[in-house]
Amino acid sequence: MSTSGPSGAVVLSLRGVSKAFGAVQALRDVSVDCHAGEIHALVGENGSGKSTLLGIASGSVAPDEGAVEIGGSRLRRASPAEARRLGLGIAYQDYSHVLDLTVAENLFLAAAGARPPYSRMAGWAEETLAPFELGIPVGATARSLSLAERQLLEVVKTLLTHPKVLLLDEPTTALGPDAVEKFHSLVLQQARAGVAVVYVSHRLPEVLSVADRVTVLRDGVGQGTFPADSVSEENLVALMIGRPLEVAFPERRPEDAPAEIVLSVEGLHGERFGPIDLSVRKGEIVGIAGAEGNGQIQFLRALAGVERAAGRASCDGRSLDMSSPLGPLRQGVVLLSGDRRGEALFPVLSVRANATVQVLRRLARLGVVGRRRERRSIDGLVKALRVRMGSVEQPIASLSGGNQQKVSLMRPFLRGDVKVILAEEPTQGVDVGARFDIYEALRGKAAEGVAAVVKSSDPIELAGLCDRVLVMSRGRFVEEIPAHELGERRIVEAIVGSRGTVAIAEGRPA
Amino acid sequence: MKYSRLPLALMTVLILALGAYAEAHHSAFLGKLNLNSLLIQAMPLVLVSLGQACALLVGGFDVSVAALMTMCVVTASFTLTPTTSGVALVPGSLALVGVGLATGVFNAFLIRVLRLPSIVATLGTLSILEGASLLLRSFPEGPVNTDVTSALISGVSFVPYAFVGVVLLAVVADVWLYRTRTGLALRAVGLDATSSRRLGMATGRTILLAFVLCSVMASIAGFYLAAEVQIGSPIIGNQALESIAAAVLGGASLAGGKGSFFGTLLAALFLTEISNVLPLFQQPTEYADMTIGALVLLALVLYQSPELVARIRAARRRPPAVPAEAPAG
Repeated sequence: MSTSGPSGAVVLSLRGVSKAFGAVQALRDVSVDCHAGEIHALVGENGSGKSTLLGIASGSVAPDEGAVEIGGSRLRRASPAEARRLGLGIAYQDYSHVLDLTVAENLFLAAAGARPPYSRMAGWAEETLAPFELGIPVGATARSLSLAERQLLEVVKTLLTHPKVLLLDEPTTALGPDAVEKFHSLVLQQARAGVAVVYVSHRLPEVLSVADRVTVLRDGVGQGTFPADSVSEENLVALMIGRPLEVAFPERRPEDAPAEIVLSVEGLHGERFGPIDLSVRKGEIVGIAGAEGNGQIQFLRALAGVERAAGRASCDGRSLDMSSPLGPLRQGVVLLSGDRRGEALFPVLSVRANATVQVLRRLARLGVVGRRRERRSIDGLVKALRVRMGSVEQPIASLSGGNQQKVSLMRPFLRGDVKVILAEEPTQGVDVGARFDIYEALRGKAAEGVAAVVKSSDPIELAGLCDRVLVMSRGRFVEEIPAHELGERRIVEAIVGSRGTVAIAEGRPA
Repeated sequence: MKYSRLPLALMTVLILALGAYAEAHHSAFLGKLNLNSLLIQAMPLVLVSLGQACALLVGGFDVSVAALMTMCVVTASFTLTPTTSGVALVPGSLALVGVGLATGVFNAFLIRVLRLPSIVATLGTLSILEGASLLLRSFPEGPVNTDVTSALISGVSFVPYAFVGVVLLAVVADVWLYRTRTGLALRAVGLDATSSRRLGMATGRTILLAFVLCSVMASIAGFYLAAEVQIGSPIIGNQALESIAAAVLGGASLAGGKGSFFGTLLAALFLTEISNVLPLFQQPTEYADMTIGALVLLALVLYQSPELVARIRAARRRPPAVPAEAPAG
């Protein structure tokens, strides 16, 4: 730990905390101390365990091992109410607003002991909000607020109970540069008043500008705590990545290989992203990088017609109807959802049924699907993709994550007419061996002229798999990394260094 | 969130309109005798619907209430017999409430501890109670103490005391729900349990309490059902669906967090009025079921119309306009 530690008393202490979710070890023996009056940044890549650590500190996740102390008292059970009572306030990344209630009601619910009689709620809420100068009407429902307003309201709510410890989980994802600055002065003011602030963020320049100390997490393991003025962004990035993970990747296409454009996007914009222009050539694999929550998923899903957006896109010269998932599907634009269980697969159905569900018409004769015809169509793919399983009649839920993903990849392979594959986290929860099979399958499809857009939170994967990588921040592409520059470090630097040049629309939805 | 008066207004208008129509064609309707029997007839449904509104407020359903009410009638035929008298009536009555309390705790256990969806959990309870009732009384037998039943329906002029009681109860409950901190907390839990938990509210306890309250109200409704049938009958009514219908007509949202106890009371009264009026016109009671079904659908559409309109607008609306270029930061 830091040698020149701050002077305030330790008000939040995590001792030897470990937590596993199923087979994934999210945190391993992590210890962090946070002193009164300090701003303590917590940084790490996507999936490095930051959110789990905050969940444990705030009582919403029960640790497998280790202890949490808040203000000198031990948190005896995982209970947000208990953590609040001990003096902890947390601003959740996905907020804690009851959207159908008004701003005043939300503030009132959050104020715990500090609230006035119910009848004085409206006036009290006005007075409470006034010093923050947010210009939010207290009578409006939380649902009517913009994302930026919701984010700021979330922070205001945590301050109502006058916490000793303030946890901020990615509190600036929806804020423009001006709002970030204003927000930081608020955080500094809290720290000066003696509050211990834990600030989780992907944006290194942002956190380094306010933090006193920085703790780095990598793959659930603490990499040390450092005084913020003693570490450079580069040091931190090296600590955040630095894992010696060897994954082989199939060979890319030559960088200047000519090919016609198959997917073209013009001025596409939706609730959390845009406007975006993009052209993808046949046979090209384009990666999308960025810190979570910067609109990558929304962009991909909008292209697939799953989320609403405005703007234009065309596939193979024909304009793409994105008003429902049916339009893109008919034109050969296929989304591989990252939510395999919820959206991509039918867990209790067999491998066979899951693979052929989109092409049953072709396999049917007089409306009856021939079981043998169906099996024959997937036999070759099972071998080519090296799907490991007992039989094709096995329910897909009994397969490992990697093999499940391979089966969902079989769908675009079975359809002969696929032109664009939109893949969201194609190897999430997939073991290293199976990853290569998936990369090879995607590259193989690309060699046939199919284009792919891959959204991934794994920079190694993007660097190895893609022909170029676009970095997204606050809903826009802020950087394009060509093939010859691709590398894990280059991508991570682009993500953490990217200060969005534009703010997401901050106006209230009409 | 504001207290919606639309359901109250609609229910009042419907009650008065149906009453006026009935009176115009059949002068017996507004007679004291009929009004008195209408109010008494309404008691079981009013009570069970108020309980159902609690379950709906926390975002659940309780379909076991009808079976529980029947179970209470069967229990009454054992514990409140014509020969039971004096002090023995107290434990006899407590037995009914005890059945309600036990059922409520059992339902809450299934829902909170075993994490079953409330509709499935209470469906299981329904079957268990149904079987138990048939085991205890395989056919209607065992008269219920008439001292008790006549005390339940006693009143002044044509209004039973108990009806005055439930009206007061519903009004007080609504004031609590929309004018106090704990009422707001209950609605918050129904609207968004995750956020409520994050804000330190005891969501588990709230849901538990709602289901226990629902069952206890159903067991009290069981007293009035016993007063109506007067014998230990194991035949189940359809108060489960009617009580959900009443709560919805009274303004409850199926997604939880919204509702009105007074609205529920008016709706239960109206539903009873329908089945009271139809015989006056020699109409088969099947029409009552169909009317109620149609009304529930209508109410669901009408009450949610602000949301529906907003959703249709949102679907038509283009996403937010292209953000203006901000200065580089």
